[in-house]
Amino acid sequence: MARRNPLHTKLCDMLGIEFPIIAFTHCKDVVGAVVNAGGFAVLGEAMHTPDEIAADIKWIRSRVGDKPFGIDLVLPASVPPSDTLEELLAKIPEGHRKFVQGIKDRHKVPEPKNPVALHQWGGLNQEMARAQLDVLLDERIPVFVSGLGSPAFILKAMHERGMKVFGLIGKTRQAKREIEAGVDVIIAQGYDAAGHTGPIGTFSIVPEVKAIAGDTPVVAAGGVTTGRHLAAALCLGAAGVWTGTLWLACRESDSDMIVKEKLLAATSDDTVYSRCISGMPMRILKCAWTDEWGKPEAPAILPAPYQMLLSAEYIQAANDHRRPDLMTEAAGQGVDFIKTMKPARQIVFDMVDETLAAFDELTGDE
Amino acid sequence: MNDPRHSPVPARPGFDEAMAGKRAECDGGGMTAGGHAARQEFAGMLTGEYVDHGEPPWRWYLMVDLFRKPEGYPGDVVWCESASVFLLADE
Repeated sequence: MARRNPLHTKLCDMLGIEFPIIAFTHCKDVVGAVVNAGGFAVLGEAMHTPDEIAADIKWIRSRVGDKPFGIDLVLPASVPPSDTLEELLAKIPEGHRKFVQGIKDRHKVPEPKNPVALHQWGGLNQEMARAQLDVLLDERIPVFVSGLGSPAFILKAMHERGMKVFGLIGKTRQAKREIEAGVDVIIAQGYDAAGHTGPIGTFSIVPEVKAIAGDTPVVAAGGVTTGRHLAAALCLGAAGVWTGTLWLACRESDSDMIVKEKLLAATSDDTVYSRCISGMPMRILKCAWTDEWGKPEAPAILPAPYQMLLSAEYIQAANDHRRPDLMTEAAGQGVDFIKTMKPARQIVFDMVDETLAAFDELTGDE
Repeated sequence: MNDPRHSPVPARPGFDEAMAGKRAECDGGGMTAGGHAARQEFAGMLTGEYVDHGEPPWRWYLMVDLFRKPEGYPGDVVWCESASVFLLADE
């Protein structure tokens, strides 16, 4: 009896894609390459203005034609009473300022060349999120991904326009709530992932969510960088994988070459889960800043947004001067498997081959 | 500008008696510089006050008397997006 192709999942049927591999990236070129290689790609646009998002959508469509792609935004899920930037800066304790000055002295951190990005940015509020969402509705993009926060309030409007909506969650109860609201795909993200993740490991959260997902496809996220990971995710009940770190060092990625080199050299031991960048826990590559805040004499890390304000100038200086010892990037624990700078298309095909080889190993068809 | 009561987008305040006085958790968070999604957890009491923000309405509940909040979080008040609120009685 002919065996079913394990890589052809209901995610493939839903999106009309060849391989159940989703690339999350901040680089348009990576989106184009992955989509044209038979995968699916999602462009992270949380930091972009509505006009920039509209321009990026036009660019992607010019490269991929009618093939589907997605846009990821971060919807706020809680908001504190807010202060101005000046009021926030005034609340940073003197002892913390002195500690940061010590870091700058010890590591000879230069002054930034450019205005500090965070100070220009001003934060995401509901008005900006709604303006971003309006562009997606106007453009009727194929897929909207809510990287955080429930998309429930906007689901009906998106479905009426023929759009699909994916929700990315870090806890099973969030998945239950979003599935009940009617999301088309639920992305279960484990602790192994890059950036700000949920508290539960990928190997636990994916089958947990699968158990309550019914007919809604589940996508596994967190530490996925090889075909073995994809094969395992399928065995856990996922209909595909969400991958991020994998694309940072690919040929098309617009990441700084120094960051790419750091990623290629990194092992899973070179990531750290720390609050020292933003005040909220996130997984990133180790650097001088993370080492210093991990020392016993370091003061208590401040909550968001104060810690972000403390780290913003350091990060700007590190990037402006391209100092390998100072620079960092969000990276998942699967970074160990990224060893060469391959074209995105090759990464897709290699992952497919590795997955099939892993299944052959399982069934003794080597 | 984050406070939904002070928004340039049409915002309609209201009061939901069924939620007033309920203990709840909020799977909250937002975006950090760099575009990363950041999760934050809160637990406290809902006052029942809400704001429906824009159209379609995006509902935000006021949570006070926080008995669980991110380390160092200033204050005892947070606005929570309605779909991220989990009543403790439901646990």
